[in-house]
Amino acid sequence: MRSASDTTTATSTGRGGMLLKGAGLLVLAALVLAFPAMAPDPFILSVGVVIMSYAVLATSWNFVGGFTGYISLGHASYSGLGAYATALLVIHTGINPWVAMLLGGLVVAALAVPIGIASLRVRGASFVIVSIAMVLILLLVFQSWGEVTGGSNGLRVPRPFGPDVLRPEQHERFFYLHAALLAVALLAWWAIDRSRFGTGLKAIREDEDKAQSLGVPTFSYKLTAFVVSAFFTALGGGLYALWFGFLDPIFQFSILVGSYMVLMSLLGGIRSLFGPFLGAVIVGYAVEFFKNQYGDTQFHLVAMGLLLGIVVLFMPDGIIPAVSSLLRRFRPEAASIREVSQADLAEQRRRTSSPSTSGTARVASPADGESTGDADDGSPDRLSEGVQR
Amino acid sequence: MSLFFQSLVLGVLLGGLYALLAAGLTLYFGVMRVVMIAHSAFLILAAYLAWFFTSETGLDPLLSLVVTVPLFFVTGVAMQRLLISRLRPATLTMMSVLLTFSVALVIEGMLGFVFSGTQRRIRLPYSGDSIELFGANIAVVKLIAFGLAAVSLGALFLILKKTQFGQALRATIQHPDAARLVGINTDRIAGYGFGLGLATAAIGGTALALDSTIYPSLHWHWIGPLMAIIVVGGLGSIPGAAIAAMLLGLGQSLLQIPLGTTWAQTIFYVALFATLMVRPQGFFGGRLAQRF
Amino acid sequence: MTETATGTTTATRIGLATEGLTKSFGGVRAVDGASVQFHHGKVNALIGPNGSGKTTFFNCVTGMIKPDSGTATYLGQDITGKASHRIARAGIGRSFQLCRVFPRMTVMENMLVAVRSASLRHLVAPARSSAEVERARELLTRVGIDHLENSEARDISYGQQKLLELAGVLMADPETIMLDEPAGGVNPALIDRIASLVRDLNAEGKTFIVVEHNMDLVMSLSDHVVVFDRGRQICEGPPSVVQNDPRVLEAYLGI
Repeated sequence: MRSASDTTTATSTGRGGMLLKGAGLLVLAALVLAFPAMAPDPFILSVGVVIMSYAVLATSWNFVGGFTGYISLGHASYSGLGAYATALLVIHTGINPWVAMLLGGLVVAALAVPIGIASLRVRGASFVIVSIAMVLILLLVFQSWGEVTGGSNGLRVPRPFGPDVLRPEQHERFFYLHAALLAVALLAWWAIDRSRFGTGLKAIREDEDKAQSLGVPTFSYKLTAFVVSAFFTALGGGLYALWFGFLDPIFQFSILVGSYMVLMSLLGGIRSLFGPFLGAVIVGYAVEFFKNQYGDTQFHLVAMGLLLGIVVLFMPDGIIPAVSSLLRRFRPEAASIREVSQADLAEQRRRTSSPSTSGTARVASPADGESTGDADDGSPDRLSEGVQR
Repeated sequence: MSLFFQSLVLGVLLGGLYALLAAGLTLYFGVMRVVMIAHSAFLILAAYLAWFFTSETGLDPLLSLVVTVPLFFVTGVAMQRLLISRLRPATLTMMSVLLTFSVALVIEGMLGFVFSGTQRRIRLPYSGDSIELFGANIAVVKLIAFGLAAVSLGALFLILKKTQFGQALRATIQHPDAARLVGINTDRIAGYGFGLGLATAAIGGTALALDSTIYPSLHWHWIGPLMAIIVVGGLGSIPGAAIAAMLLGLGQSLLQIPLGTTWAQTIFYVALFATLMVRPQGFFGGRLAQRF
Repeated sequence: MTETATGTTTATRIGLATEGLTKSFGGVRAVDGASVQFHHGKVNALIGPNGSGKTTFFNCVTGMIKPDSGTATYLGQDITGKASHRIARAGIGRSFQLCRVFPRMTVMENMLVAVRSASLRHLVAPARSSAEVERARELLTRVGIDHLENSEARDISYGQQKLLELAGVLMADPETIMLDEPAGGVNPALIDRIASLVRDLNAEGKTFIVVEHNMDLVMSLSDHVVVFDRGRQICEGPPSVVQNDPRVLEAYLGI
């Protein structure tokens, strides 16, 4: 399964590559901006808003999942908390809804600190366990604590735009708002990706002990990434609450929503900037399709479970790395713009390497005269490394 | 006073079931470092099978164990050999969570698909019977469920302590490399460990079906408490899991008097957070947790 | 140049030292009251039969695992039980037995992981600041794998990974470098290259503590040898002395 790599081979050949990436980004932005105008009816437009919301959530999830490799199944906790925090602030203090949303995000980020401390102190398993437990607790609390949260009856959220703004207009505005939030999240992810902080996080994902031995303060790095992730997830939840106008704990604190974020990111590619976005478009569309088509039955659970299983087993690196490595293999040297997919552009963009000229990725090893250049057995099984012995 | 005593007894009975199921979860984690999210989904599946068995044949649901226990054992072995073992060791813990999570979704979805989302309950001639014990009124089905759990837990304990397989299993849990060195086929042992874990879900599910209303998404109500139990007990420690299960089961039952059923459940999560803050390796043994 | 160092009678400065360090797993005492002193500025070797606790000792000293009891100090400063990133910042770098690199990061990215300062500005600075990249290139050139800069670490050979690991450790500019079996699993040509790198770096002032099974390498490379058996030091001294110590022969041959 190592074919899908995210090698920084010197494919981006200097200015040509930059130009291509710029063009790709422009096309992507144009497509997103033009969507409301192209949507044939308000329903499709509302599906578009849902997909953008998923894209925000998945991209936010990817701050912790993609960088550190810690998989949270319970990020619905933070979107749900963000939604309720925003709603309750608007209802009880009457402040500007956008300020409420931002405050909600900050409150959730503050809450994420102790949660992160509890779950990140030990490796792996307890992080996942806590992430799931959080959703279950919050569901319990928000259902039972009726006088504040509205309990199972739900909570009506006042709309930020007056009644004179009609439905389709509402959808359009919220589509753009979600797109803007997505852009901010992507920008933040991109900035971290190319920072030293990001390099440290990726090192944690690859080999946490080794990273720490090189001086990376792994715990504070993980915690920071986790809090940033919770913050953006909460903003996504808050924005959704303002759009949808109604909150029910069973949908807000749902394991399923959290697992959508994981599936989307994984499917698109957690190590790619645009991976979660791509995954959100695919999975978001599929989810809406299934709900429309099969409605009441539990069939969408089966489909979702199977898809997740397939991705984990056969495509853990996601679509973007797989496609881009495929393209690299088959295309001739200079690709025309038409042959390069959006996804590939996105990928290249992320993988910007210094415009190097030594474009050899897999050289046999003249350096040490050793012929174990076949990389399939190149990485030693580090589980057998003698931490215990 | 009698209310307190009643809750105490019910807590013990509930704790027994928790202990059996948590032992299963601990087995998976021990042999493979896998957090098996689908454990409780299999639990509910077994409960549905017991219900289906009884409603089709009219026989006692306990008899369904003859089918479900071997079936689940084989399923567990197959799951480990065909699915879990395909994952890369470096990312095993995280990816296995997702894989077993997806299995849980498929089971839940299929249950809803085949049996619909309607709540089900087994009607037995002795469903309403109860006996009086020092002034506490205890339903017979609860006693049977506890007996089943206790006997299975005892059997599991004997298998682990007395048989050669059990020794190999414990060696694999404690030190896989060393176990391999002394000639234990750890892959096969891991498969059997998985099967054994799933067999506890079969028994637990049947016990559950005796006195509970079941529905497809019920497994989410079980997985949280069970995972809290194995963390509190110390990941990888079966006695730790059993003790934690008993204590938390008792705690839940007793807290129901002042707090009501919903809030009483939070004891598991409070205990989970307290454990991670104070003693992340768990309260009873569990050397493994430090590294994972 | 190494021989002259042992010959002089200047007072040896103690760098890394432990006192009664103990670590057990279950019933097994992997490190059993080890009291060791390594000479600062020298090439130290830590040898001993398989299972004598060398790697566990390394892991205890570098904060990968917490010792049960005993103390570790570095240049007089207590480092017992400190987290490994703090020990790294104190100036001790290490490599791992069986070589560990970050497989899905490029060679250059591998080089840029090492953290030398904890300042916030440093955190948000682009990873590819030109000064850092320049330095990384220099070190890659020095170990001879600069042509692989943009390859993923999992795509290069095992020997190259070993060189990359060493170069990565050097990025943090540690005073003391602990190498766990640098010659393990690599061919003779590469062993020579690693040995000469160690010599050159030592001449520039770096202290080395090397766990190694290749006795020819140990004897030719080191100024000071510590012999471990059953989790503690049984003998120490210059290579020529240690070589003929009966206790060492006994430990190795099990007489």
